[in-house]
Parts: sequence; C-alpha cells; structure tokens
Amino acid sequence: MTELFLAELRRSWIQLLRYSTEAIAGIVITTVVFYGLFLSAQYMAGPNLQFGERLDSVIIGYVLWTLALFIMTDIAGNLQREAQTGTLEQLFISPYSATQVFLTRAIASLSIQLTLLAGILGTIMLLTGSRLSFPLAVLPAFITVLLGAYGLAFAMGSLSLLLKQVQQLLGIFQFALLFLLAVPSESWTGSLKLLGLLLPMAPGAGLLRQVMAQGQPLQPIPLLLAMVNGALYLTFGLVMFRLAERETKRRGKLGGY
Amino acid sequence: MQILEAQTLKKSYPVKGQAVLAVRDVSLNIAAGEVLAFLGPNGAGKTTTIKMIAGLILPDAGWVRIAGRNPHQDAKALRSLGAVLEGNRNLYWRLTAAENLEYFGVLRGLSRRVARQRGQTLLERFELTEKRKTVVQALSRGMQQKLAIAVALIHDPQLLLLDEPTLGLDVEATQTVKTLVREIAAEGRAILLTTHQLDIAEELSDRVAIINQGKIVAEEPTAELIRQFSGTAYTVELEAELDGDRLQKIEALGAVVQAHTVIVRDPALLYHVLDILKPLPLVKVEKDRANLTDIFLTLTQAHPGLPPDLND
Repeated sequence: MTELFLAELRRSWIQLLRYSTEAIAGIVITTVVFYGLFLSAQYMAGPNLQFGERLDSVIIGYVLWTLALFIMTDIAGNLQREAQTGTLEQLFISPYSATQVFLTRAIASLSIQLTLLAGILGTIMLLTGSRLSFPLAVLPAFITVLLGAYGLAFAMGSLSLLLKQVQQLLGIFQFALLFLLAVPSESWTGSLKLLGLLLPMAPGAGLLRQVMAQGQPLQPIPLLLAMVNGALYLTFGLVMFRLAERETKRRGKLGGY
Repeated sequence: MQILEAQTLKKSYPVKGQAVLAVRDVSLNIAAGEVLAFLGPNGAGKTTTIKMIAGLILPDAGWVRIAGRNPHQDAKALRSLGAVLEGNRNLYWRLTAAENLEYFGVLRGLSRRVARQRGQTLLERFELTEKRKTVVQALSRGMQQKLAIAVALIHDPQLLLLDEPTLGLDVEATQTVKTLVREIAAEGRAILLTTHQLDIAEELSDRVAIINQGKIVAEEPTAELIRQFSGTAYTVELEAELDGDRLQKIEALGAVVQAHTVIVRDPALLYHVLDILKPLPLVKVEKDRANLTDIFLTLTQAHPGLPPDLND
C-alpha cells in the first residue's frame, strides 16, 4: 500500500506541476470570489467597521468549503473523467481493490489540496488583514472535517459510478456544503444542537471556528463527537462506494460514459 | 496448461424494459502460448465477454478462471491479467511513457524499483526508449498503442486481452503490433484477440472463436476451420490462352477453362491436366482455400447481429 500511495503521490504532483496553470487559475478564482464578497460586505457596512473575529470565522468557513469542494470534485470528477478517457477500467484491473485505490488516491491528492488551500488562505489573510491563529489543537478538529468530506466524496463518487453525469448534482451540492461548513452549529441549543451533531462535517467545522477564530481551547467531548461523526460519514461513503462498484459491474457500465 | 477457462458465461441487459441476452453460454479456453481470435459482428457480445473475463462485468451465470483463480472473487487473479481495451484509451495522456509504465506497474502490485526496471526493458523492446520522456498525448497513434501493450505487460501477466489492437493504425504500425503479438505469444502467454481485420486474425491466431447474437457459432483451430471451408478444386493460371487442341483435351477430362485459367474440380485429374499443359508457361497452381472473411460472413450472415444500439 505504501508503494501505491507513493505512486499516486508522484502521479498527482507530476500532473499538477506539468499543467500548473489550472491550479493557479483555481487559486486566483477562489480568492477573487472571496475578496469580492468581502469588499461588498465592507461597502454595505461602511469603511469604519472592523469585522474582527466574525471575519475570521467566515474565512474559516469559506476555506473549509473550498477544501471540501476540492475533495468532492477530486473523487467524483476523477471517476467521471477517467470513464471518459478510458483509464477507469484499467484501475479496476488491479490486485488492489477499487476502494483501496481511490482511498489511497484521495489521501495522496490531499497534499495537493492542502498546498492550494494554503495559497488561498495566505492570499485571503493578506488581502483582508485577518489574523487567524494556527495552534496544534486545530489538527484533530481538522481531521474530523476531512473524514466527513471524504465520506461525502465517496458517496458522490458512488453516484458518479452509477449515473456517470454528476456535474449538475455537484453544482447543487456545493451550496449544501457551504451551509454545512459555514453554519454556526456550535452555538445552536436544544434539539437543533443534536441536529448539528448529525450533520456531516458541521461539528468539526464548529470546533475549528472556536479554536482558530475565538481562541478557545479544544474540548475533548465535542472533539470525540466530531470524530464519531467523521468516522461514520467516512464508513457510509466507503460502503456506498463498494455497493456502487458491484452494481455498476452488474449493469456492465463501468467504462461507459 | 490452460491459462484462461471461461465456462457457460451468461449476461443479459435490460432494453426497453425487457431483458435481452447479450451473451449466452459462452465458454472459452486458452492455453499458454496460444492466440485465440475472438471474432464477431458489432453487438455480438465480444466486449461483454472480454469484460466478464477481466472482472469488469459481473456475469449472470457461469464462471471465469485465470491461471486457476476467479477474478470476480479473488483479486490475485488480476495479477495474471493484462488488458488493452478499446484502442488508445488505456494511458494517462499527461504522463510520459516511462511514468505510465511505472505507475501502472505499481498499480498491478510491483515495487517502484521493479516497475522502473521492467518499464525500461519494455521501452527498449518496443523501441520507445527515445520517447520515454514524451507525454503520451504527443506520441503518434502507433506509439500510443505500442505503449498501451507495454503497459499491459508490465507485471508479466500470463493472459493478455487485446481488444482491437490494430484499429486506426497505419500499415507500418499494424505490422509492428502484429510482430509484437507473435513474440508475446511465443513467450508462453495466452492471448485473446478481438479484431474486425480478419486477415490479421487469420495471420496471428492459432484458434478462432466466432460469436454471433451472443452465442459461439464456431470454435476451431484456425487452420482446421479454413480447411473445412476450403474446397478440393485446383486453379491453374497460364501465361497465355490455350490452343484449340489442348482446350479440347482438357475439357474432355471435365476441367473448366476460363480465358487464362483452368479449374480442376477433381484433384485426381490435376496431373493429367498438367501433362496436357506441358510445356506451357504457368503463372501459378493453387488449391482452393477459403479465407477467414468468407468463413466469418458465411457463419454470421445466416443470423444477422443484434440491433446496433445494444452495447456489445
């Protein structure tokens, strides 16, 4: 598996660097969209208003949304692209299972997503004057968001295998993602709080906002709940993917587009 | 030793709410070093059968064994399988030739070091060393196809599936691929070859299986199949037309004369005819020999193929 992971790492980095204009365009567009929103908000609020920690929270939500979108597009989009270009079936003629191949791929391309994200985050902070802190405590909360994102990405990948055309679905889904990552579920109370715990990625995103924007320490119980949430969504995504693979093979539509 | 064993494979697809049988009870075996040409019109069930063998389509019934393992149940079976499916679309176009070989080598279970070594050897063997650092999209169609075959061989599989390996290639590239297929089979690998170029199938295959409407309608050693469909008559071609005396004698024997050609239906009469013709200059003496195209058309035209919209 280590060999496969390293091979996937090399493959994805080589393709990214060889066609780096696409990555740079991605960073520029994502940053410009945020900066446009930021300027509009500033215009409406007047020049003297300081956004402070609220701005930091919004930035975290936006950047997480970008990451989740990258991850989602990565698996579902790759499956669709490879079905079109004809390499998909070669991936299934491997002693590694498709789940192993795509999970290894997803982890390998995470290094790319994080690099792009660092570029976007750095530029946004430079443009808006935001001062986010990055304590180590951020890491476990971040991992819970990643687990959830990969779970959803595999679920979308399953749809991509079965339906082939998921572009429109991905387009609609990105707004649901924005809601999940930007909604302040950590401040909800009563039955809404329970709902917040069940939503994918929302508990982890809430923890990140508390630690990075509000400077609060990481609480063990909410972290545990966020971990369970992430693990459950990942399991759900992987199980869906396995079922979709079998169903696609039964329908004889693996390589079709 | 049998490398591929496929037994009574069945597959149906829903078409307009009804299940249409695309493959019915197809059984195929290929031994080490043998090339089986798997022929059939569009929509006859070739691709579905190949993909069931490769573990890419689940059969409704029947089983497949590659080197004794079932690819649908045991992923290790796929270590013994290499495949070039549907033309040139088996490679990453943004990676170089060497990068593709290394990546697919690891994907097939090799270590990076071994994948690199084998990749280098294959590049040399396939005369692609100069192009090792060229991205696939900049290679010619023939080179892409050679590379796809090299990639399919990277993990030294015992069974190679080649789906239309010469489609869209120019004459020179076709010759190269033909030579490679011969060499690969001579190494002891079993090869399943599909092609619509029947002259290539005739040249390369040891055995032929013809599928029509999802059923195997003929499966024989190539030479035997051709012999069965060949006649016993001889054709003698002359440089000039016959004179009246010889013409009379030959027609009296029962042979047919058409301009410069004499057709001898009874082989026992051949030498009598040749005696009469002596010492006239001959162009050639040829026994009637069916070709695979005639045989294919005879066997498939009796039952025209399925509607073209059905995936084959």
